[in-house]
Amino acid sequence: MILTVARKEFREILRDGRIKWSAVILAVMLIAALGTAGQRYADISAERASAQEVVNMQFAAQGEKNPHAAAHYGLYAFKPVTPLSFFDTGIASYTGVSIWLEAHKQNDAEGEPARDATAIARFGELTAAFTLQMLLPLLVILLAFPAFAGEREAGTLRQLLSMQVSPVQLLFGKALGAAAALSTFIGPILLLGFIGLLMTPGGLTYVGHGIVIVAVYIIYAWIFLFLTLAVSANVRSAQAALVVMVGFWAVSSFVLPRAASDVSRLLYPTPTAVLFQANIDEAMQSGLDGVSPDTKVQQRQEQILKLYKADSVEDLPINFQGMIFDLQEKLGNEVFDKYYGELYAIFSQQTGLHQMFSVGSPRMAVQLASMELSGTSLNQHLAFTGQAETYRRKLIADMNQDITNNSNAGQADYRADSTLWASIEPFAFQPASLGTLLTRLGPSFMVMFLWLALSIAAGVLAVRKVKVTLG
Amino acid sequence: MKGFGSVFIQEWVILKHNSTWWAILGLLLVLTVLAALNGAARTDQMAEMASGLNRGEMQTQTALQNTVARWEANPEGDPPSVASAGALGLSVLSHYTVLPPSPLASLSIGQTDVQPIYYKVTAHPALSFLNEAKIQNPLNVLAGSFDVAFVIVFLLPIFIVALTFDLMSKEKERGVLSLVLAHGVSKTAFIIAKGAARAFLIFFLLLIVGLAAVVLTEPDLASGALWARFGLWFLVVSLYAFFWFASALFVNALNKPSVTNGVILANLWLVFVVVVPALVNVIATTLFPAPSRVELTTEMREATEVADQESAESREAFFFDHPEMVGGNANADQFFLQVLATDSAVERAIEPLMQEFGAQAEKRQEVVDLLQYASPSIMAQNALNAISGTGTERFSDFSEQVLSFHENWRGFFTNRIIKGKRMSAAEFDEIPTFEYKTWGVASVLAATAGPILGLLFFVLLLSIWSSRKYARYPVV
Repeated sequence: MILTVARKEFREILRDGRIKWSAVILAVMLIAALGTAGQRYADISAERASAQEVVNMQFAAQGEKNPHAAAHYGLYAFKPVTPLSFFDTGIASYTGVSIWLEAHKQNDAEGEPARDATAIARFGELTAAFTLQMLLPLLVILLAFPAFAGEREAGTLRQLLSMQVSPVQLLFGKALGAAAALSTFIGPILLLGFIGLLMTPGGLTYVGHGIVIVAVYIIYAWIFLFLTLAVSANVRSAQAALVVMVGFWAVSSFVLPRAASDVSRLLYPTPTAVLFQANIDEAMQSGLDGVSPDTKVQQRQEQILKLYKADSVEDLPINFQGMIFDLQEKLGNEVFDKYYGELYAIFSQQTGLHQMFSVGSPRMAVQLASMELSGTSLNQHLAFTGQAETYRRKLIADMNQDITNNSNAGQADYRADSTLWASIEPFAFQPASLGTLLTRLGPSFMVMFLWLALSIAAGVLAVRKVKVTLG
Repeated sequence: MKGFGSVFIQEWVILKHNSTWWAILGLLLVLTVLAALNGAARTDQMAEMASGLNRGEMQTQTALQNTVARWEANPEGDPPSVASAGALGLSVLSHYTVLPPSPLASLSIGQTDVQPIYYKVTAHPALSFLNEAKIQNPLNVLAGSFDVAFVIVFLLPIFIVALTFDLMSKEKERGVLSLVLAHGVSKTAFIIAKGAARAFLIFFLLLIVGLAAVVLTEPDLASGALWARFGLWFLVVSLYAFFWFASALFVNALNKPSVTNGVILANLWLVFVVVVPALVNVIATTLFPAPSRVELTTEMREATEVADQESAESREAFFFDHPEMVGGNANADQFFLQVLATDSAVERAIEPLMQEFGAQAEKRQEVVDLLQYASPSIMAQNALNAISGTGTERFSDFSEQVLSFHENWRGFFTNRIIKGKRMSAAEFDEIPTFEYKTWGVASVLAATAGPILGLLFFVLLLSIWSSRKYARYPVV
């Protein structure tokens, strides 16, 4: 019986022109988005990979140099992109793409693409994810809003229910029919997108991610489908169903994300860049525990002299300057860990607030999940900066180690050669595994399933009480 | 326009008892007020941050001046190292150039969260400070801000559409239309009166909220420039609202069922607010992609290496951290000359890339400026940003002012470094400071004239079109 209803609904939707235009808009945008995504991935991944190679080569070809000078010269880490980063660009436009890894300093990622973009980019970037998040619900609403209210207005709801159809069967039949109609439009485009992903070099690794992403958007569509059906069964007219659902869509998709961003800024303010830097400078000068780095260097020197039973650093078998550098580096790192740790804790509180707001907005839950899976979330950006920082610390430590072991005290003209530079492993970002992402997405998935369960329940409740006439 | 007055009054009476109408109006009021408060809070925060920026720098400067003055009063031994123009300009001093919030800044956050509102100018090449980092959660930037401009551009049309999508069709569906027209009311007068009754209160509400926001947040209410901006703001808001009223009237003139009207208007909103901006953006960035920052990074590095095989840049950083290794003062002068040489070599090398950057950005902006006419929403957003001084034009004006100040600042120190001159205490007073030249009402007018005319064109087009359609509107 459900299938009969579904088939009828499917045929009717296809015959009815009401979603023709929305469907065409959605299709054009999806195709444009997926088409440009492939090209952008090819361009940008090649560019970053070659930049990383150039920088690595520049470091290896430094010639003879004091290792500490090489540490100051440093390296750059470029944020790699994945094929899915262009399905959903997430926060990528608002984060830097490269980090300078140098001695003494933890630098921020620089070169946010948004700085070079025009103001119009703030309306939203054309990606497949943006299109699906914005337009898919609207299409679903336009498909389904007259499902019950329209039948009632036309007087056919009475006939339908007088046949052997239970209201719940009717609900699922209509839902299936609408879903089938929807799949007819979007299915082929998504399939093309998937083929595109498979044909992209390295795309095979992300097939799993892609499948989960598709599942996320399917759940998203079902949420809106059942909500619309529930509202359609509940309200007086098809018109009212349309107004209610478009209103909900607008508020949950447009207002709540912005509200979340402003409330999070108010509740958990981030320090200004100037204050942040001033705090770090201050802690660098006077030490986190109030003992200045100079004092600590002094203490270390006494310790080492005692250990080697030497009278002065000149008598040591190692170059104590290297140890000073190393100690300074470690003290600096503690400062960075403290202040960046505090900053990231604020970020994570802010992100938590977005997570909380997503309880009121399926779009926000879907967006958080979508960018996490596409590798363009804040988590993944911080993973990149974190790994780059770990790499920097190892690099600088290696340089200082070389000074300590291979030069003598006071030997300012010590030079290391290319064997040292070549011994440095190139930076390679390790993205989180799909399993890790899925566990991280627990809250978002929970919100999505909650919405799905609630919308189905609302639908079932609404059709059980459905009245054939109102008023 | 026979019967306009009576229909208008009749509508008022009906609306007074319509709870949906009051709910929508109330919601619009609450959202606008919240947005205004939020915008004011953000603007305050920024103004507060900006006000303290140069305090530390000025303190440093005065302390150094005193050191030099003390030595001048009692010149024993070598002059203090801070008297060296090189040490001051290339290592110790910097100057914050700040973009103050413009009048009405709280009504539109615009590009403020993406573009720098200050630069820390040094005597090194501009590129070294143009990339000033901002500390903010990118997730928040992505979501955007809940400001009055957002309520106007994104939400106001939805409210207007909800109030007007069935203006004519409903009357017809209920059979009221033929009754009313039988009383000799003209069709055009009828629909306009109905639309005007709703528009009147919405315009009034926007005017009041806008005025309240101005009175509560602006420090200088006597400023003529402020009220000129406010006049422009209300003009843009009215035109944009008018455009949506006209669209609804036009769609109603197509003589379709209410539900179809709703669907058409929802699609129209989608096209103007979501689809066209996204497409315009993709067209502009595909035609004129931003040159790669990544490439700039590697080029700069390469240039630095070429400029100085011994890698002056790393040596420079090395010596800044370890001044004890620089040696005597004579060496220091030599060293700073070397830094200048490296700086200018790097600058020369990346000059072509920087020019490409500028040229591409300009072309992209031209395309976007042209394509904005495809959507009233883009026009409205651009105009509102310009009026609040948070649009692209004011930021590029600011960065131009900063670049020209940078030339001054840099020249001041380079001249002395090259001549090997030391700074006297008196000369500290001659160190340039940045005076921001206001981006005034004339500039706002220039930036908003296009969008305003564009909106006017859309409004006129729809009005003429609809009035023709209503003349032939079938009553039954």
